[in-house]
Amino acid sequence: MTPVVELDRISKSYENKVAVRDLSLRIDSGTMFGLLGPNGAGKTSTIRMMVGITMPDSGSINLLGKPFDREGLKRVGYLPEERGLYKKMKVMDQLIFMGELRGLDPAVAGRRAHDWCERLQILDASEKKTEELSKGMQQKIQFISTLLHEPQLIIMDEPFSGLDPVNTTLLQDVLIELKKAGRAILFSTHRMDQVEKLCDSLCLVNRGEAVLSGGMREIKSRYERNRVIIEFEGSDAFLQHPAIAEYKDYSGSVEIRLKPHAGAQDLLHTAAAAAKIYRFELVEPSLEEIFIQTVGEKVDA
Amino acid sequence: MREIWLIAKREYLEQIRGKAFRITTILIPITFAIIFGISFLAGKNSGSNKHIAIATADPRLADQIADQLRADKDARMTVDVVAPVSADTRQQLVSQIDQKHLDGFLWLDTDIAGKTDALYVARSSGDFVTESRLNDAVNHAVIRQRLSAHGIPAGAVDAITRNVKISTEQVKNGKEVSSNAFGTFWAAYVMAFLLTFTLMMYGMNVGRAVIQEKTSRIFEVMLSAVKPTHMLAGKLIGIGAVGLTQLAIWAAAGAIFSGSALAASLMSGSIKIAVSWQEIVLFGLYFLLGYALYSTLFAGLAATCETEQELQQYAPLAAVPVWLSFSMIAFIVSNPNSFWSVAISMFPPCAPIAMFLRIASQFPPLWQIALSLALLALSVYIVTWFSSRIYRVGILMYGKRATVPEMLRWLRYS
Repeated sequence: MTPVVELDRISKSYENKVAVRDLSLRIDSGTMFGLLGPNGAGKTSTIRMMVGITMPDSGSINLLGKPFDREGLKRVGYLPEERGLYKKMKVMDQLIFMGELRGLDPAVAGRRAHDWCERLQILDASEKKTEELSKGMQQKIQFISTLLHEPQLIIMDEPFSGLDPVNTTLLQDVLIELKKAGRAILFSTHRMDQVEKLCDSLCLVNRGEAVLSGGMREIKSRYERNRVIIEFEGSDAFLQHPAIAEYKDYSGSVEIRLKPHAGAQDLLHTAAAAAKIYRFELVEPSLEEIFIQTVGEKVDA
Repeated sequence: MREIWLIAKREYLEQIRGKAFRITTILIPITFAIIFGISFLAGKNSGSNKHIAIATADPRLADQIADQLRADKDARMTVDVVAPVSADTRQQLVSQIDQKHLDGFLWLDTDIAGKTDALYVARSSGDFVTESRLNDAVNHAVIRQRLSAHGIPAGAVDAITRNVKISTEQVKNGKEVSSNAFGTFWAAYVMAFLLTFTLMMYGMNVGRAVIQEKTSRIFEVMLSAVKPTHMLAGKLIGIGAVGLTQLAIWAAAGAIFSGSALAASLMSGSIKIAVSWQEIVLFGLYFLLGYALYSTLFAGLAATCETEQELQQYAPLAAVPVWLSFSMIAFIVSNPNSFWSVAISMFPPCAPIAMFLRIASQFPPLWQIALSLALLALSVYIVTWFSSRIYRVGILMYGKRATVPEMLRWLRYS
């Protein structure tokens, strides 16, 4: 299957700073891809090259199976982190304008905009000027304008920032639905929990370089399950077990980090012998831990 | 092309529907009318409503001068005659001026030989209009008196001393056409003002629109759909069309107004402001090219700024050529073919205004107009080249305003 977008060792530097260095990634249709990294890591620079705002200094970009050209952008939807709408324009006019810019017929754009507004519960606002709306509503409008032309590749830079939980769920559901319909979605954020929940694969960038990439399950399986949570009653003598590297003792519950390659089964036996165990969980590392571990190592290096 | 058209259409509709468009469409002509009205009336009324006294030993001469002065309707002078004079008359008059009962007095001495000396003593100095009125009146009266003294009958004296009014004609295309120097000047003045106003207003307007898109970050969405040059072109076309619309509204309103009875009564037939179709075409050409020059310049500069205040710091760039052209208005109108008039009408930033003053005053050789338009078009091309490059990089830059060396680096790598 040809990927929807593929970056091959792209680099971009500005006057005195390397923004992206030798970055490669591919996103297949029907997947949600997380582009992760701390602020200033090169996420936005990477995306800007994908949507033709800037050109890479070296490396190549394939979009929809062809070398990058502007015609392909008609099938890309981009929601930038820095949102922008024309303040004085009416919502519906604005949506139709954005649709037309991407090659839609005004009547088609109007119909789709109407349907989307209905779905995202902002139909009442469609005749108002953008500046009269709340931030959350403006964000929904921008969200719609990204999707109006039914793009094959959807790029969302921090799509949920500033939204309340109800609306976040609403937009998440839309994205999941689009993914199931076969679209490729790139989701850029520094919110690990969202990526963990939504994405099938990811790329972690730091200082312009990809430090970790691959499928979510595959990445997680690379990291040991070395964190144990135990809820217990009775003696805590098992905390002296040689497999434990460190622990945090909250009353009635401990969080343990095991030494590398240490077996958890033996710890369970020791603990069960002395105390009453309510819960014993070998937790897989969270993306956040992997992130801190990976980036932290690189930063120290 | 479709994208340029869409962006132009959006920009055009937003501005036309905006409050600012309606306000400027109405307020600018009103402001103009007020400014010109005030300067016109002030010129006409300066030196009027004066209260002066004429002091001389010869009451007949004094009466004649007084009649002459009172006959000037515009002056609306109050004239007292103090004749014959006594030893302390002069002192009395001076004290009356001091107490502000009088604006001034005219002192006339006629010696035995018939030679008349006149002295005007007034509270204010430099009142040239009153001085010239007095001069006329005194000479007129003295000549009449001398003619009478030579035994010429009163009727003949009237005929001899009747004033002559100079009317002016202009040679256009080898033919004499009746012209009104006054009307031509005002037409030139109004058109040059209109050009300046609209060029600056719409040039800055483009700059502001660019900054608004930059601060609202909308360009990032736009640039993922259209090329920066297309975005810039669409914006220029859209706002330029707004400018043309506004000029068209003013022209139509002007045409309706000048055809109306109100205009006829106001102008009382003495001032004809004639505008030919060539002038209208050239006005349009100079507006379009001048607008393209200033608006691309401001678009490029605006892309390097974060706020409108920062853009304002570049305003002198636009103000200097305007100031230069306007400081030369009187010179250009009276010497339309002198070296400096030609030179300034070739200099692109000044060309629209300066050339228009020349056109209105005396139609310059065609090659000069063609050359100035060509130079203007060339400078538009050069400025567009620079501006579009700076624009492309600048709108993606946040933070402080770019310095000149930074802009030069952008030119290299865009």
